[in-house]
Amino acid sequence: MLIARTRTLQGTDIVSSANTVSGLMYQKQNDVVNYFGLRKMNDSLINENAHLRAMLSVSHSYDTLKDIIVRKAIDKTDSTHVVHYAEYVYRTARVINNSISAANNYITINRGYDEGISKNMAVISGSGIVGRIVHVSAHFASILSVLSVKQQVSARLKDGTIGYITWDGERPDVMIMKDVPQQIKVKTGDSVYSTSYSFFPPEIMIGTVFKTETIRKNNLQLLYLKPSTNFRDLQYVYVVENKLDPERKQLEDSVKTRP
Amino acid sequence: MNLYVKNFLKFALIVLLQVLILNKIVLRWWPEPSGFPLFIPYIYPLYILLLPFETPVWALVIIGFILGITVDSFENTAGIHAFATVFIAYLRTNVLNALMPRNLSDYANQSPSIKNMGWMPFLVYSSFLILLHHILFFSIELWSFSNIGYLFLKILASALTSMLFIIVYLLLFTKQSSTRS
Repeated sequence: MLIARTRTLQGTDIVSSANTVSGLMYQKQNDVVNYFGLRKMNDSLINENAHLRAMLSVSHSYDTLKDIIVRKAIDKTDSTHVVHYAEYVYRTARVINNSISAANNYITINRGYDEGISKNMAVISGSGIVGRIVHVSAHFASILSVLSVKQQVSARLKDGTIGYITWDGERPDVMIMKDVPQQIKVKTGDSVYSTSYSFFPPEIMIGTVFKTETIRKNNLQLLYLKPSTNFRDLQYVYVVENKLDPERKQLEDSVKTRP
Repeated sequence: MNLYVKNFLKFALIVLLQVLILNKIVLRWWPEPSGFPLFIPYIYPLYILLLPFETPVWALVIIGFILGITVDSFENTAGIHAFATVFIAYLRTNVLNALMPRNLSDYANQSPSIKNMGWMPFLVYSSFLILLHHILFFSIELWSFSNIGYLFLKILASALTSMLFIIVYLLLFTKQSSTRS
């Protein structure tokens, strides 16, 4: 942890896979290897399309009349109402390097600050969460994936219980949700979603529970999740920019620095 | 060919082999029980092991650092490979002195190889340093001894597999003499 900690200093970015030399090499290699995974990629795109279509049909049949009335009532000068929440910009990127066997796994993508990527943006795939941008160069960026022992992600169960997800550094298909109170009934197969507490946009699928365990010592539950993202064959990801994030960071930091 | 040019080309070859091919090969000895660790074979420390006998320690350490930091920059491991590689580069001369029957200065213009060391001494030499490299690398990478059995298993499995790849590399890239000994 002490040695491998990712510093925010600009200088340390040189020794990362986002630098131009290793980025270019990974790009060239991926140009060759990419071809072999096209069939799998088609399948995942079809699945994602189906998912999005299902969401679209839900919002078409949804009665939006109520919302319209509320919106009309808000005057622009009335500062007591929030008129918009978060604005997200989605950018697509191709994964050119990926690892799952290390204790902190990094993913390199072929987009950098020239394409509007910056540090601490969230990265999701078509099926779930992926990670957070930690290094950026002109044309490449490296992502600290959620398969990392030094990163936690806020999560929400189906009934609204908030907790956090960690990874124990072992298997890429098991994540752990700790400290869930015993009275919360969790069944295997329940989905877990992201919340807006961490850097991810809310309501992104994290995974499904496949095993629950109660710890005798403190009567808290331990949930084992299967991540919905398949980290083994990640090919395309979305980098999510939250337009309101700098403002929120500034506010939260100002609270922290005050004694 | 000039010794320096030759060794530089070897450096490039071994780094490219490591980061572009072997880093993509995620291995697991068997899938059940599913707790068995995933790892990738590391053969790049072999470059340090194969430098000529009379390379001074200071040069070994500097080359080890450059090699390690190059692999680090591809894997985002911020100096862990550099640390482990510098460590084995520093120890290399001592291990060779202990294993070789004659003084190291007697082997002018030669590199450690199966041919001039014999199978057993070479395997002891390389597996000892590779194991040391893997122990350092994986324990610093995980940086916790909460699951020491897992760490131990990962080091063992990974070192053995790396050794297998190293032997294959040696068999592929050493010139066979016409008379098989």
